[in-house]
Amino acid sequence: MTGPREKALAAYLEADDILLVLRPGSANAPDIHLAITGDGTVIAFNGHVDLGTGIRTALAQIVAEELDVPFERVSLVLGTTSAAPDQGPTIASETIQITAIPLRQAAATARRHLLARAADRLGTTVDALTVDGGTVHAGSAAIGYGDLVRGRHARVEIDPAIAVKPVADYRLVGTPQPRTDIGPKALGLWTYVHDVRVPGMLHGRVVRPPYVGYDHGEGVGTSLLAVDESSVAHLPGFVAVVAIGDFVGVVAAREEQAVEAARRLKVTWKPQPPRPDLNDVEAALRANPARTRVLKHEGDVERALAAASPAMPRTYVWPYQMHGSIGPSCAVADWRADGLTVWSGTQNPHWMRRDLARLLDMPEEAIVVERHEAAGCYGRNCADDVTADAALLSRAVGAPVRVQLTREEEHGWEPKGAAQVIDVRGGLDLAGGPVAYDFETRYPSNLAPTLALVLTGKLPPVPEVAEMGDRTAIPPYAVGPMRIAVHDMPPLARASWFRGVSAMPNSFAHESYFDELANAAGVDPVEYRLRYLTDPRAVDLVRAVAERAKWRLRTTWGTEGGEGDLLYGRGFAYALYNHGKFPGTPAAWAAWVADVAVNRRTGVVTVTRVTVGQDSGLMINPDGVRHQIHGNVIQSVSRVLKEEVRFTGTGVESLEWGGYPILTFEETPDIDVLLIPRPDEEPRGVGESASVPSAAAIVNAVYDATGLRFRELPLTPDRVLAALQGRQRIEQRIEHRAAVKRKAKRWFGLGVGIAGLAGLAAGGLALAAPFRPAIAPIQRPDPAVFSPASVERGRLVAAAGACAVCHVGPDGVALAGGRAFETPFGTVRATNITPDETNGIGGWSFAAFQRAMRQGIRRDGAHLYPVHPYTSFVNVDDGDLQDLYAYLMTTPAVAAPAPVSALKPPFAVRGLMAAWNALYLRPTTVAVDPLKGEAWNRGAYLVEGLGHCSACHTERNALGAERTGPARLAGGTAEGWDAPAINGTAAGPVGWTEAALYAYLRDGHAADHGSAGGPMAAVVKSLAPLPDADIRAMAVYLASFPGTATPEAAAAARTAALAASEAARADAALVAPEGARLFEGACAACHEADGTLAPLALNSPLHADRPANLIRTILHGAEAPASLAARPGSPAEVMSMPAFAASLTDRQIAALATYLRARFAPGKPAWTDVEAASADARRISSKGG
Amino acid sequence: MSTPPVTLTINGAARSFPLPADTALLYVLRNDCGLNGPKFGCGLGECGACAVLVDGRAVRACTTRLGTLAGRTVTTLEGLATDGEPHPVQRAFTAMQAAQCGYCLNGMIIATVALLARDPAPDEAAIRAALRHHLCRCGTHMEILAAVRLARDDLAVSPTEAARMEPSS
Ligand code: FES
Ligand code: FES
Repeated sequence: MTGPREKALAAYLEADDILLVLRPGSANAPDIHLAITGDGTVIAFNGHVDLGTGIRTALAQIVAEELDVPFERVSLVLGTTSAAPDQGPTIASETIQITAIPLRQAAATARRHLLARAADRLGTTVDALTVDGGTVHAGSAAIGYGDLVRGRHARVEIDPAIAVKPVADYRLVGTPQPRTDIGPKALGLWTYVHDVRVPGMLHGRVVRPPYVGYDHGEGVGTSLLAVDESSVAHLPGFVAVVAIGDFVGVVAAREEQAVEAARRLKVTWKPQPPRPDLNDVEAALRANPARTRVLKHEGDVERALAAASPAMPRTYVWPYQMHGSIGPSCAVADWRADGLTVWSGTQNPHWMRRDLARLLDMPEEAIVVERHEAAGCYGRNCADDVTADAALLSRAVGAPVRVQLTREEEHGWEPKGAAQVIDVRGGLDLAGGPVAYDFETRYPSNLAPTLALVLTGKLPPVPEVAEMGDRTAIPPYAVGPMRIAVHDMPPLARASWFRGVSAMPNSFAHESYFDELANAAGVDPVEYRLRYLTDPRAVDLVRAVAERAKWRLRTTWGTEGGEGDLLYGRGFAYALYNHGKFPGTPAAWAAWVADVAVNRRTGVVTVTRVTVGQDSGLMINPDGVRHQIHGNVIQSVSRVLKEEVRFTGTGVESLEWGGYPILTFEETPDIDVLLIPRPDEEPRGVGESASVPSAAAIVNAVYDATGLRFRELPLTPDRVLAALQGRQRIEQRIEHRAAVKRKAKRWFGLGVGIAGLAGLAAGGLALAAPFRPAIAPIQRPDPAVFSPASVERGRLVAAAGACAVCHVGPDGVALAGGRAFETPFGTVRATNITPDETNGIGGWSFAAFQRAMRQGIRRDGAHLYPVHPYTSFVNVDDGDLQDLYAYLMTTPAVAAPAPVSALKPPFAVRGLMAAWNALYLRPTTVAVDPLKGEAWNRGAYLVEGLGHCSACHTERNALGAERTGPARLAGGTAEGWDAPAINGTAAGPVGWTEAALYAYLRDGHAADHGSAGGPMAAVVKSLAPLPDADIRAMAVYLASFPGTATPEAAAAARTAALAASEAARADAALVAPEGARLFEGACAACHEADGTLAPLALNSPLHADRPANLIRTILHGAEAPASLAARPGSPAEVMSMPAFAASLTDRQIAALATYLRARFAPGKPAWTDVEAASADARRISSKGG
Repeated sequence: MSTPPVTLTINGAARSFPLPADTALLYVLRNDCGLNGPKFGCGLGECGACAVLVDGRAVRACTTRLGTLAGRTVTTLEGLATDGEPHPVQRAFTAMQAAQCGYCLNGMIIATVALLARDPAPDEAAIRAALRHHLCRCGTHMEILAAVRLARDDLAVSPTEAARMEPSS
């Protein structure tokens, strides 16, 4: 047994006590639809899968009903290729409408077979038998189905002509039935595909190419230039890198190791050709070559249109949207020489098996697909793609591999719901009726081949044109001349079917248009529809829904009124969803009344209530139907109000929930569901149909509220506001906030240095000797010569000096050196300061060490660069240096050289530093002031000497020397981060108190300021071993600068800052609407929770002059305050901030930063050029890494 | 580098893991403890699918690193039951059939347990606010809200149930 497996077909075929019902004509290669075992258990087989819609329960109800067995006795085998029949992909709620039919017939066939046997056994006729709860009765005699099955292996074929139970006799179907899967799911006992674990299983991750979300066109499958395995081969748990064409993946022993390897793998891709701008879908679709298919053409459309009064040409635009499964796709594959098993969340097990066979050059029969539930997918997500990924990785390493896609990969690569552009020409005739209807829809579909086939080059990256834009393209209204055409076109972005495929956009156009006609004709929109609807079930439904919603006739907008900033409106729409190949199969009838409130100040549209009616014929499980309708209403409201995929020049930009927000609980409307009881009519696919009228109903309601007609989605606040008030006002606000561009304050004042230092070099050489004598090497001192007490004191000196922070080695090896510091002079690398004689400082005598620390001169006489803060260490006293030496000499030696610094000329000439030292190295000592007490003096020593705070917190001049005077400790930079002022002039809204300084240095977190990030987080960690008294001393010293706040002043400033930020909330959303959405989706879960984080309104980086620290925090994340807190049991936040570098683009970060600044630092001028600063920060960190 | 083990309490049992301090709690729970309740949804703290209780407070296991948890108490969906009896909130979710695919269910239940522990009588706005950053794509919001109300009302009439709201450790 390896991993969870369904019982295979063979097991049923070999079982002794069993009745099998087979597909007609499949006796030689049996397709089992139903099995009844000796204990009376009924097993139903279906090729479709449960996508979270509860068909498992509905199918069991159908079987139990037909067989007259208790519901609990029926179990379902869904999708698994080793047992279930091939019934095509699970699409469009077809399961109940189409695949349930053979199952019902199978059950009826089994019942007839069993009754015949029972009659035999009981010595009576079939007519004399009754069945109840799986037991057959004849008078007082009774026998169970199990008893009838036991002792034989029997097979019968489905009789397609068999009479099934009349609906009037139904007892189970049509009654609410709780789903069987929800209980175990609520307890964590359900095995989703994500939860499958196989013995010996490894973990894989993929690394996708830069053409995110495209599966055809130039460069697809042929963009990989190089993969550098050595970039990850040393990582713990590393197993393999796999690269085939553009398919790249990594395998590791543990999941987080695979994550890390995928993140660090160095992959080089070709530059990508630009692709059509899909942020302007209308232009892109119109420019896309198309083949026109006329679906219907009746009457002389052009002549009729010429007579229109008025003529009403209209265009409707639907954006790309995504399925957005909450769980990114996942699969496990176990490849062996003799066959492959995959555990997959696919919705097309048999189709996928064909693709896998092709990908891996193996026969289909050698592949078993075990289907497990995944997160809901509403069409097609990456379930098949990830299964193929896992199969490729498993084959490469010869072991089972689980692949979990990231959120970014799922968002980026899932086949999107396609955009659509629809043109309608029409107008009114003299009687106010529709004069003609000329409808053209453009739909760039594709069949989204399994990604690995394209990436590996098994399939050429040529687009396929699918005929999928025609769903519900024909309107339900009787209009005279009519021409309906669909422009089939090749895909743009990777796309596939998504709930209400093409029908939702097409109905958006139809139902908006008929609303416009009704309005132009001065007729109530429901009344107008009823005039032209011909289908009696449609008419019934429209009337019933209007009545249920208490629809009041209206012939103009604005009749619902409003209050305050809110305008109320109601809209109506109706549709009969038509799916499958044209002319298609109709599913359920659906109609909506949407109630909306439009905020005229903010542009926010709220759908407050939806009254939705559906006629789906016989309902198998009415509770299930109701839940499905709720789900469809909520998802479609979300799509209409909020959803739009954004693109960069080369791929999908929306890679997480901030960039692609969906409806939240606070935005969920009330929903009133009206189910039309039609038990005598055939069951129709449910749920999906209820989505189709959504967009028009909402847009019609917004029109009713405001008089504004929106023909492009989604209805984001910015779009609505722009229409309500014109763009002008928003732009004024933005201008009002435009900032004075501040002179950048940078490490080593870029650009001035070169000439200056070159000039200095000429004169400087005369001033100071460029080369100092070497100090003779010694043999590495025996660690035993150092007293343990001295070593321990040295450990604390190293902690206070944070030596390990800069001198860290690759992968965190202590003191081994190599960390890169980007300076305008070039890249300076920290040295190896472990006691290795060749590569470290093992051969250094104390005299050599002391000279390096105080004068910046290496043992061999060469100068160090002042990145090494010897200008501070000059203040460190001898005892501390001796202890530090003792400590370093007793640490583990690392026998590897640190990489060397790479400086630009003329800086590569280390000798120039001699001149520099002559100018800037001041043999000063820290001022001692006995009047200020012991703590202050100790603090001064730690801050100004050992702690070398000024190295980062003081601006440098053109030559890289710390400025003096008022600039001292007034803020500088470190590794691209701004090191804020620590001399009492910090930019945050609340001044620093001694208590806040203490909390920050001790725990990395101060309630009025936020958490230490970037290099400072490492410093706080380094300070952890120091006694509280030392930390207190630093706080005392730093708090003695003028400008430090009193506790009372701090409290008042806090209150004021929080109030100002709250007041700025609405304005900030107007200034940066996209930033507001990003914040809500990506940040607010933690930053607006009543948690333990400092409020962002007090956060120092948001109040700083430059966005440097904010950008770096967003890109790289921040460690949890709890991991910095030195005090045990502190209530600090345990969650870390994740890195968003791979999730947000520079453009998105700029939008977010603009919002954050406006919202949380409302008094400060807006930042400029944030996008460029973000790009810069990325470049620097990728070089430094 | 070998790492000193981190010791914490998971669903009532002391556990020790010699793993790097920056290992995400979610992977430890799922892969080392075989606890499938918490789910991977985004890894960015955005969706709530991975929620667990840490010292009774709902946190996101995908952004919580092992190193911050020494000495703390973690409770997952599996740890809510007492003596094999489902937690009242779990019962309410099943009773209201508050799942479609159910992938978000873990986060919804954990958030509800945390909510009712700090506010036993939340009104509609408080309920919605508490679930605001838990995403459900299937649109199960109506049933989930009904389940939270049911759990709240059940607890109001049954003090013994209410006593169970504090997740045991
Ligand atoms: S997976 Fe943790 S919040 Fe989404
Ligand atoms: S039930 Fe599927 S995501 Fe919530």
